[in-house]
Amino acid sequence: MNLNKPTLQNKIARLRINFVNQLPVRLEQAQQQMAILSSESPINVTALQELHRAFHSLNGTGKSFGFTALADVAEHAEHYMQGIIDLSVQAMPSDLLGILSEFLSQLQAQMHILIASDNAQDHTQSSPYFEIGQSDTEIFQGQGPLIYICDDEPEQVHYLVHQLRFLGYNVEHFTDTSSFREAVLTKRPDAVIMDVFFPHGRTAGTDELVSIKDVTGHKLPAIVLSGRKVFEARLSAVRAGCAAYFVKPANPMDLASALDELVGDKLQEPLRILIVDDEPEVAEYHSLILEEAGMLVHQIHHPEKIFEALEVFSPDLMLVDMYMPVCNGAELAAIVRQIPEYVGLPIVFLSTETNAQKQFSAMEAGVDGFITKPVVPAELVSAVALRAERMRTLRGLMARDSLTGLYNHTTTTEILVSSLAHAVRHQEKLVMVMLDLDAFKSVNDTHGHMAGDQVIVALSRLLKHRLRNTDVIGRYGGEEFALLLKDISSDTAEKLVNELREDFSEIIFNVGQKQFSCTFSAGISMYPGCNRAEDLRMAADTALYQAKSQGRNQVVVSKMCDE
Amino acid sequence: MRILVVDDDQLAGEMITAVLEDQGHHVFQAENALHAIELLGQQSAIELIVSDLNMPLMSGIELFRELREQGLNLPFILLSGDDPAALRAKEPNLDACIMKDFSMDESLPAAIDAVMAARDAITC
Repeated sequence: MNLNKPTLQNKIARLRINFVNQLPVRLEQAQQQMAILSSESPINVTALQELHRAFHSLNGTGKSFGFTALADVAEHAEHYMQGIIDLSVQAMPSDLLGILSEFLSQLQAQMHILIASDNAQDHTQSSPYFEIGQSDTEIFQGQGPLIYICDDEPEQVHYLVHQLRFLGYNVEHFTDTSSFREAVLTKRPDAVIMDVFFPHGRTAGTDELVSIKDVTGHKLPAIVLSGRKVFEARLSAVRAGCAAYFVKPANPMDLASALDELVGDKLQEPLRILIVDDEPEVAEYHSLILEEAGMLVHQIHHPEKIFEALEVFSPDLMLVDMYMPVCNGAELAAIVRQIPEYVGLPIVFLSTETNAQKQFSAMEAGVDGFITKPVVPAELVSAVALRAERMRTLRGLMARDSLTGLYNHTTTTEILVSSLAHAVRHQEKLVMVMLDLDAFKSVNDTHGHMAGDQVIVALSRLLKHRLRNTDVIGRYGGEEFALLLKDISSDTAEKLVNELREDFSEIIFNVGQKQFSCTFSAGISMYPGCNRAEDLRMAADTALYQAKSQGRNQVVVSKMCDE
Repeated sequence: MRILVVDDDQLAGEMITAVLEDQGHHVFQAENALHAIELLGQQSAIELIVSDLNMPLMSGIELFRELREQGLNLPFILLSGDDPAALRAKEPNLDACIMKDFSMDESLPAAIDAVMAARDAITC
């Protein structure tokens, strides 16, 4: 999982997706008000006002997210509605319901357009707003988790602050609790490292954390760093809800892994479910239930569209209706299973079939589970969530390296191919960096394999913190890493990798009483220039080899890829 | 700065919050005018209000007038899906009135700067 702090763009992109996903619910509610309007006489004024509000909200929020076509329809509807509300009940136009349902069906059409275009993600990328300042290494600044350290003895934490910065954290240091408090209220950090004892109180540090929680209503993810091992200090830390307790002097590497644990589990991507059902209303109903449970749902109503949907949406699970025209559920499952990439994709059937023999023959076609109609919402959610999550975990284990959590060799190679294809299609740049630790064998030989692992983990931590969410980091071999940096120039990439190289060389590793540091060399290649995945890799490799032979601890940009 | 955001639409509220937090502000959220008034009672530290116009129970303009009546003179920025000029004509005492659109990430911070600068000019 990516540990980077969500940037504003990411947050907005996510909110836009949420908005699109909520559209069916919003329009359904409007539809209900319509039902009330058409069934009651004299006209129900509350329902009128509710509809007006629904239109207003779609207009305002739609505009805020840049969905102008949808918002324009909503704006017309809102204005029309405002005129109606101002009229007396007797003066209502006779074709009111007809006009309103026309507005609603226009809104529905807009909704389908938005949903069909893969949840609005494409819009955000093509919007000019997202291209601001994408030119220099500035876009990589402030990517790491924001950490506040509050400790009144600067000399005690000076070393720690520096080491954490080299590991890619954004660290700010405060020497008193009041300036710390001010900073937290202005900008909330991702995690806090807090001393317990301050001149103005034996547990002033932890007391401050409790007080901030009372004011803001949120607990700050915190680690206590204390000079004392006494019970009172430890108890105050537990009471303030702190996740870990370190005694000074703390090892920066240990603190970093505690920090990553605190920061890391913030963002769990919603499960992605693909529904295949020839009846849109039924698909919509199941989709609502799953969305209600926080999942991201994509529907198709024609089995023929399956390949496109699998590729574009890349679901964690497929929910398929058993009986459909053209091709039934079992056949569809068999088709999907014939594609190597989707052999593991969980497929769950929805059917009225209770006949065990028929269920069994469907199982043979590669179906993982059955849900019998009529569906009990809680059962549907748990059956789907359980299988989809298991799939995710398995996929994660297969795709990632166990020591670092980075993509493994196989996955990195796959992503390289798909990223390059994406870059070619969208005429974007793609930079590949091959990165190799210098004299790593001697680290292992001199200090032992535990020390070697420490170095690998530190480098992967620095990379995760400093690169963007959209960049790809893979552990390519033992001490070799591959990076894919999207849409930047090779100059920017070179500058960035040099910054990373300098930061990394400052990290001090501890083994027993001994200390050492480590460096890396890197080779950079890019598209356009290298136009095939294999060329990109070869060019980066050759540049890396050159960096090594020129004396290590340096970055070389490939000449083979001149644009 | 500590800013109170009032919007009955949860997603719109979060969007505004994201923009403001990105600017380094500390944001409190209220889902309607009454909740906003309650929060203002508890949180004396709030320095500015950003409110949606059309909300159930009490509109953004009504909230603005209510606060002024209570003697609370905090800077008040109104957001609306419509033409802001008409609203300013209706309530000229508003500090700023801006259009809800996809450029809010720029228009809102700019409005806040302008409002704070105007306020400073008066107090100095």
